[in-house]
Amino acid sequence: MSKNSPEKADPSSEAKKTISLPISRVRLIMKSSPDVSSINQDALFLTTKATELFVQHLALSSFNNGCGKETNSLSYSDLAKTAEESETFHFLTDILPKKILARDYLKSLEQMQEEDADF
Amino acid sequence: MDGDSSTTDTSQLGITGEYMASGQYVLQPQDEDGEESMNDHEEGGAKENYREQDIYLPIANVARIMKNAVPQTGKIAKDAKECVQECVSEFISFITSEASERCHQEKRKTINGEDILFAMSTLGFDMYVDPLKLYLQKFREAMKGEKGIAGVPVGEGLTEELTDDFTNPLPAGIITADGQQQNVMVYTTSYQQIPTVQQIQFS
Repeated sequence: MSKNSPEKADPSSEAKKTISLPISRVRLIMKSSPDVSSINQDALFLTTKATELFVQHLALSSFNNGCGKETNSLSYSDLAKTAEESETFHFLTDILPKKILARDYLKSLEQMQEEDADF
Repeated sequence: MDGDSSTTDTSQLGITGEYMASGQYVLQPQDEDGEESMNDHEEGGAKENYREQDIYLPIANVARIMKNAVPQTGKIAKDAKECVQECVSEFISFITSEASERCHQEKRKTINGEDILFAMSTLGFDMYVDPLKLYLQKFREAMKGEKGIAGVPVGEGLTEELTDDFTNPLPAGIITADGQQQNVMVYTTSYQQIPTVQQIQFS
């Protein structure tokens, strides 16, 4: 599906050009949060724009931070590493699990159980 | 004598298994409401029955932004693209729930721009706030150019969505979701190019 719209010198298409993500989809995601009733137009625009910045930020940070720089390619593990190490992206750790060896996982599981036992 | 394997005595149904003499009782499952009906709870016919985790932004858009962010010759693995796609939905939900909470605290129903900016600042994305304010200003200026014209909503489809939610007094529905041309409003005011700080160009 081509997103190309013909160049027109009117404000609405110029404003459109500053955004490269579908706003209605952003809105849908926002509405899926519990207790969200209505969303102001500014808020929607800001969220969409912020999402663009976020993608750039995440991609670049991960690329520079991970093995990406050497291999010149961004991989999943670069992203996971960044989520783990960066305060800003820490909220992503749940959906970006780092792949660890099974024995390491079992070890950490034991440690967790020991901590629970202290309660 | 051992108890029945299941009990229909309603007075016992409310009692947990610990009160039963032997462990052989099977509690009748009571009607479970609330949790189960989450998906049915939606109002508004326009909304489809998506689960939150299934809604993503189109991967082509996401991939393009990523590609423009990394060095020119850099490559991006396919699973990295998909992964960022999911991260994006997570990010949006993250910001939205924070903004929504603040909104509720202040007894307001509509999430506005300030709530979003505040949420970002709170959640560690304060580096976005200043560029965003700038973008918002430019966006408003672009919209303002149409204010003098009769406030006829542009196009269909998107406008219907927008007028449900937007309390903005400006003519609604200027931004189209997918870049298609909507019905054109005739502008008689002269239009100036908006210089942008950091504009993502897509041809």
